[in-house]
Amino acid sequence: MTYSSTTTNPEAASAASNASRKLRPRSAMSRTMFPYLLVGPAVAYLLVITLYPGIFAIYQSLFVVRFVSWTWAGLDNYVRIIQDREFWAALGNTAIIGGISLTLQTIIAMTVAFFCYRDPLVRGWRIIFLMPMLFMPSAVAFIWKLAFNDGRVISDLLMSAGIVSSNVDWLASVWLARLTLIVADVWQWTPFLFIIFVGALQGQDEEIEEAARLDGASWSSIFWNISLPMMRPVIVVAVTLRGIDITTMFTNVYIMTQGTPGGATETMSFFIYRQGFRMFNFGYASAASVLMLIFTVFVAQTVVKRAFRSGKS
Amino acid sequence: MASVRKSGGESLLLRYLVLGAWAIVCLAPIVWFFTIGFRPRTEIIVPKPIYWPTWSLDAWRLLISDWPIALYLRNSVLAVAGSVVIDLVLAIPAAYALARYEFRGREDIGFYILSTRMMAPAIVAVPIFFLFKNIGLLDSVWALMLIYAAINLSLVTWIIRSYMLDIPKELEDAARTDGAGDMTILWEIIIPACLPGIITAAVIAAIFAINEFLFTLLIASTSKAYTMSVALANFTGGSDGVIYNAIALVSFLAFAPILILVVLIQKHLSRGLTMGAVKG
Repeated sequence: MTYSSTTTNPEAASAASNASRKLRPRSAMSRTMFPYLLVGPAVAYLLVITLYPGIFAIYQSLFVVRFVSWTWAGLDNYVRIIQDREFWAALGNTAIIGGISLTLQTIIAMTVAFFCYRDPLVRGWRIIFLMPMLFMPSAVAFIWKLAFNDGRVISDLLMSAGIVSSNVDWLASVWLARLTLIVADVWQWTPFLFIIFVGALQGQDEEIEEAARLDGASWSSIFWNISLPMMRPVIVVAVTLRGIDITTMFTNVYIMTQGTPGGATETMSFFIYRQGFRMFNFGYASAASVLMLIFTVFVAQTVVKRAFRSGKS
Repeated sequence: MASVRKSGGESLLLRYLVLGAWAIVCLAPIVWFFTIGFRPRTEIIVPKPIYWPTWSLDAWRLLISDWPIALYLRNSVLAVAGSVVIDLVLAIPAAYALARYEFRGREDIGFYILSTRMMAPAIVAVPIFFLFKNIGLLDSVWALMLIYAAINLSLVTWIIRSYMLDIPKELEDAARTDGAGDMTILWEIIIPACLPGIITAAVIAAIFAINEFLFTLLIASTSKAYTMSVALANFTGGSDGVIYNAIALVSFLAFAPILILVVLIQKHLSRGLTMGAVKG
């Protein structure tokens, strides 16, 4: 269970394994073709399910679609969309809600993982702390919809604690509505980061930690100067993956807020869904999809590629 | 497993305060929501919340009499199991090629597979809806199966690939010396040796598939192909409002098997969730 990238030189290791990995197939034909035959079906399947939608979205985004009639619109959808305040609001909401949520999740997961990994009961803690992640996202949305709005439980608890004096209408204010989405997301997905962080902490070399302790280093300085730097690649990979999932937030918005109040909780995913499947502006929804697709490809090319290179041993 | 070491009394107290507080945050909503499943509806949405339930089996009766729970369960199981089988059939050879062969474009192909995981469902939702509409597969479990398989294929491939990289090359060389062919080696040596990785990948793919919401909502446009995840959202609307006790009950019916699966693969979870980018 060691974290090998910290101990071996990745280039040398991969060169060595590549050399020993050379196979001796029966013919030149099979030598070149065989790996493509192995990887081909999976790639073909993904191409059908990603390339087709990508091209279709670009094509459809050039039309105004009214039920079955398609009218050529050129780049009109794009011109309209970059002037559409709701589109920019959705982008901003996604960034605000996702950014706050991801920051909180990372801090909480790291704190809990740090206090937990040396504990004798670590296995028990792990099972408790990962439970929220195991509920269906739609179920989690209902848990928090009931707790905040319909069942008034959170308001009641806040009232008994003397923090508020009357029932709070969580969907009445921009920041309170966003807060409910953030709470639901943090509750469900902090376990994702926690599980990864605690695994990385357990995998680190105990002797270095022990030596630092004997030298009189405090637990906080061990954390900041030893554990955290060693975990950097793991943190980068985990936060990147979680960050990408957050930008696609849909279920909680659909069930808990429907974008209210006044679009303050409408995320990009919900914007596309609403344009397409509520208002039947399919061309417009496709244009928004294409813009988001460009953003995704950009993020995948830069951040993810780097994250996976640094995280790989 | 870390050994018991005290790092000073004050931090030990702090440790249990932090862990205890977070355990309450995690568990309290779960325990409370569990009791919701055993309450009469009249007790759930009231001006002042009632914390201790009057136990009732209303939700069970509703579920059995008014709600095609068997259909939704069947849809979920069929779509999820089918998608995992498709994923394994496609991913195992692909992972083997990516882990063991040198070929032109290997890096790019591997990264392309990974990048499909990064696509937001909403981006492809509209075209996928039309794709399935055009081939007449809307509102069908088969469509869900194909979608779930596509969503998880990258994850499954990358997890299995990372476990295959760990298998010592000598095992294969020995078999090759004995005259075994490529497929025999894959089937009889590689697959058994990376079985933990295959099982981890299958479990994680199954969980993501069970939970999938947006595509299922769109493709299962009438309730015929609803899965558990989307059927939950269907408890709302109408004059009855949200039927929380039934929602709670169904939530736990889906939660229990997932918990068991996850406890079984606990050791491999962090590696699986990062698609093998993190060893541990």
